[in-house]
Amino acid sequence: MFFSGSPVNTAKIQCIVVKTYGQWWQSLHRTMLRGVLGKTFRLVGYTIQYGCIAHCAFEYVGGVLMCSGPSMEPTIQNSDIVFAENLSRHFYGIQRGDIVVAKSPSDPKSNICKRVIGLEGDKILTSSPAGFFKSHSYVPKGHVWLEGDNLQNSTDSRYYGPVPYGLIRGRIFLKIWPLNDFGFLRNSPNGHRFSDE
Amino acid sequence: MAQSQGWVRRYFKAFCKGFFVAVPVAVTFLDRVACVARVEGASMQPSLNPGGSQSSDVVLLNHWKVRNFEVQRGDVVSLVSPKNPEQKIIKRVIALEGDIVKTMGHKNRYVKVPRGHIWVEGDHHGHSFDSNSFGPVSLGLLHAHATHILWPPERWQKLESVLPPERSPVQSEEDCLQGSP
Repeated sequence: MFFSGSPVNTAKIQCIVVKTYGQWWQSLHRTMLRGVLGKTFRLVGYTIQYGCIAHCAFEYVGGVLMCSGPSMEPTIQNSDIVFAENLSRHFYGIQRGDIVVAKSPSDPKSNICKRVIGLEGDKILTSSPAGFFKSHSYVPKGHVWLEGDNLQNSTDSRYYGPVPYGLIRGRIFLKIWPLNDFGFLRNSPNGHRFSDE
Repeated sequence: MAQSQGWVRRYFKAFCKGFFVAVPVAVTFLDRVACVARVEGASMQPSLNPGGSQSSDVVLLNHWKVRNFEVQRGDVVSLVSPKNPEQKIIKRVIALEGDIVKTMGHKNRYVKVPRGHIWVEGDHHGHSFDSNSFGPVSLGLLHAHATHILWPPERWQKLESVLPPERSPVQSEEDCLQGSP
């Protein structure tokens, strides 16, 4: 809107424009913007709060996981849903025969799910048990020896060596899905792997 | 009487509400974003603890920077000790996966760092329990990146990611990929 005219008129018109704009902004702020901004901040606040509670629960108590892969058959099949607890890891209560979930030694962003065969200091049979020449090795300090239950189809410590205890994330103790297999997990079908004499 | 009881109940409710908000947020922040730690030992002299046991440095540990396990050669990092999971050690990253390192005191003269592992060493060679003793460490054990020294105030500084030239890898992964002889 352009008015050609005297400076006084122009100044008056500018005043009116500014005042109208100011009133428009104030009413917008009072009704819409404050409500929307307030709601957004509240939503962000709740997200952060529940995210932190979820982190604490997963890190210090336990969580639900889905396992994929054939390396723990028949104990855990592909796409089974299990419940893992993290208290044993923090209190150093992982024992031989426990099924643990750990970070993969060669890829820290993926997890592996195996059974603990030996703790530090144990003697592990590294050759095939049916072979003639048996070779043993000792699990070093601060490490564990992990093997899958499906020995024919499992990449585990027999391939990448003993795994540091610090990589263990939690202990799996309960299978939730499928429902016909609900319950605590069985002992290892490979009992002979536990001999440490 | 009823009014004072009402006040106590209101206070209790507010306390519980604050507690269940503040504690998880604080714990998550210290686990995921940053925390502070005191450095013990002489394995990183002269960068850390040059005064020995008289004054221990306090460093800022940044978890956020290593959330995707991305580290560079020369970074000072803290990790879970592979020999003792209850302890955290603080060392400098010397080599990344694929690099070939010339070791000092390891049973093999040259070691190629496997996939998903790093080679760490303390700055005070000979007084350091590091990869020369226990070999390459898995990246999953990485805890945080030490970025600044916070205490004592006269040692307030940023920790530079500088790799000592005599410890640079014999052949790095980039050299291998470019096919240099």
